[in-house]
Amino acid sequence: MAAPLLEIKDLVTVFHTSEGRLPAVDGVSLSIERGRTLGLVGESGCGKSVTAMSTLRLVSSPGRIESGSITFTTEGESIDLVTAPEKQLRKVRGGRIGMIFQEPMTSLNPVFTIGNQIAEVVQLHRKVSRSEARSRALEMLRLVRVAAPEQRLDEYPHQLSGGMRQRVMIAIALACEPDLIIADEPTTALDVTIQAQILDLLDDLRSRLGTAILLITHDLGVVAETCDDVAVMYAGQIVEQASAVELFSHPLHPYTIGLLQARPNVDARDRSPLATIPGMVPLPQNFPSGCRFHPRCSHAREPQCKLDPPALREISPGHFVRCHFAEEINS
Amino acid sequence: MSEQHPETDLPFLQVKDLKTHFPIKKGLLRRQVGSVKAVDGVTFDIPRGKTLGLVGESGCGKTTVGRSLLRLVEPTDGEVLFDNHSVRKQNARGLRSLRRRMQIVFQDPYGSLNPRMKIRSILEEGLILHKMGDESARLEQMKQALERTGLSPAVLERYPHEFSGGQRQRIAIARALVLKPEFLVLDEPVSALDVSIQAQVINLLKELKQELGLTYLFISHDLSVVEYLADNVAVMYLGQIVESAEVGQLCQQPLHPYTLALFSAVPSVEVKNRRQRIVLTGDVPSPSRPPAGCRFHPRCPLAETVCREVEPPQVDLAGHRLHCHVASRELERCGGDAAKTSVEMQAAITAATSDSTEPYSAV
Repeated sequence: MAAPLLEIKDLVTVFHTSEGRLPAVDGVSLSIERGRTLGLVGESGCGKSVTAMSTLRLVSSPGRIESGSITFTTEGESIDLVTAPEKQLRKVRGGRIGMIFQEPMTSLNPVFTIGNQIAEVVQLHRKVSRSEARSRALEMLRLVRVAAPEQRLDEYPHQLSGGMRQRVMIAIALACEPDLIIADEPTTALDVTIQAQILDLLDDLRSRLGTAILLITHDLGVVAETCDDVAVMYAGQIVEQASAVELFSHPLHPYTIGLLQARPNVDARDRSPLATIPGMVPLPQNFPSGCRFHPRCSHAREPQCKLDPPALREISPGHFVRCHFAEEINS
Repeated sequence: MSEQHPETDLPFLQVKDLKTHFPIKKGLLRRQVGSVKAVDGVTFDIPRGKTLGLVGESGCGKTTVGRSLLRLVEPTDGEVLFDNHSVRKQNARGLRSLRRRMQIVFQDPYGSLNPRMKIRSILEEGLILHKMGDESARLEQMKQALERTGLSPAVLERYPHEFSGGQRQRIAIARALVLKPEFLVLDEPVSALDVSIQAQVINLLKELKQELGLTYLFISHDLSVVEYLADNVAVMYLGQIVESAEVGQLCQQPLHPYTLALFSAVPSVEVKNRRQRIVLTGDVPSPSRPPAGCRFHPRCPLAETVCREVEPPQVDLAGHRLHCHVASRELERCGGDAAKTSVEMQAAITAATSDSTEPYSAV
């Protein structure tokens, strides 16, 4: 079998601060196949965004990738994004890998026109003239279904609504026909009807262009509706990983189960109190010993969960869980 | 209407044709050139002890409604009756005494607590302003309010930055509760919180309502949270309520095309419950230039000529209120059967949108 498009192995990203060495990402392994969507879910502070930033080596000081490898395979050529020279990496960023960030308000430059910002990416990565880049920008705006694209080209970000700006971000990310898009909470700042439009668009583009997507979100509903595979992160580690169908029908990690139950369901007529996960997400400076979830877990048993860090194990084909008692929960 | 107990018959909070417009000023002389009609004719009641969920997308005016009720922004027109007192006609002193009974919890627990004040000063400010008790009585009340929200009295001597988002929101709720209010405006109180923390705060709000007999106006864009907490739901679009009903009725049998689209857009984790998604085209228009006729018509897949010209009148079907030409006609055709009409509307919208967007592929 061919190598996956992106393979992250044992990634450790740490921040050296006055409080010591903080492992925001602590041994994450992920792989994405061509044309697939992988959802990376977790609450704030679990390390999901740092994982995404590490993939493009965009983690800034005091953060640093300490160990691990990120192999990106395209056109039969593999490069390790952790060790690749900066020059080679610049070709990947925005070229082979596109990025979409959460805040469409702040990730566009307010003093340049939309057309300028899309054309810039094209000119950086391809040998094209200004007019060719501009017509490519127009083409991209059409692709992301922006109304009146000729007029929008010469407008500034403040003239667009949030949904429109996110479409422009997607247009920039797609301008060089990347193999992979990293989308960090692309719809969090948007309303539900606009979110539906954007998710619809991403899915449509993926099926037409064959672009793989790494979708980072805290919303399990978004993952359930758009992703092929899901990885759930907690305290810098992946605690459960499976196909979306498998994960949502047979969640095995107590944290995943807790997250699913904590969500009020639109269709449920049940008004009993919501299941809660007690306590808070731990910060890297005080990750608990043993299983990092044990202080909040209703299945936790002393002394095993407190002392012995569980490994990510394959419980059923393709379903990985980091829990000592996954088999028990399964039955 | 029985005349013996008018005070129990009247809804606790009555809002009639509320309008809040913000002037747009331009030029050297700051002449008014137009107005943003943030709230443009909103009518609803909340009976004592009930929760009204107000849902809508950003910019629809739901937050302005909440603020107008307490006169944190001054309404332009209309009437707000709180326990039979007109909020709009109060002078400063009357308003202050009403505001003790009506409190608000804001969305952003990072922005709504003064970072330079200790939690003690934040909670005590209202008590001092309303001259409620001496120092020891105030301390007792603050401790009670904190206990109710699941915090220890030790937090009094700490500053907001020492707390997480969920804890800050508990502090904001305690700040409102310390005045022993009867009515709370909850403006997106859980939107900024993580899922596991969100559930804790939702449960807390529910307990408080039961224990203290509070009445809530719960403002949110999150339909699943509103459905869980509210007794009645009103859906807002561009400054107006387009549909309102009892929560089960509205969620099971939505009639307005906007409500249908809003429900279908909520991502669900239940694979089997996945609905045919209705993807609306376009964005919410600017409230300074609302479209003529039905305000939803530029985005509505079922819009007809009449929708572009005539503002839809209200149809009231046993408390299920609706503003839509097409749905009203359909309702009449179905002999007032809301369940059947809802199915027909869904089918009509699906048929109208199926050629423009592909149906969502199942995972």
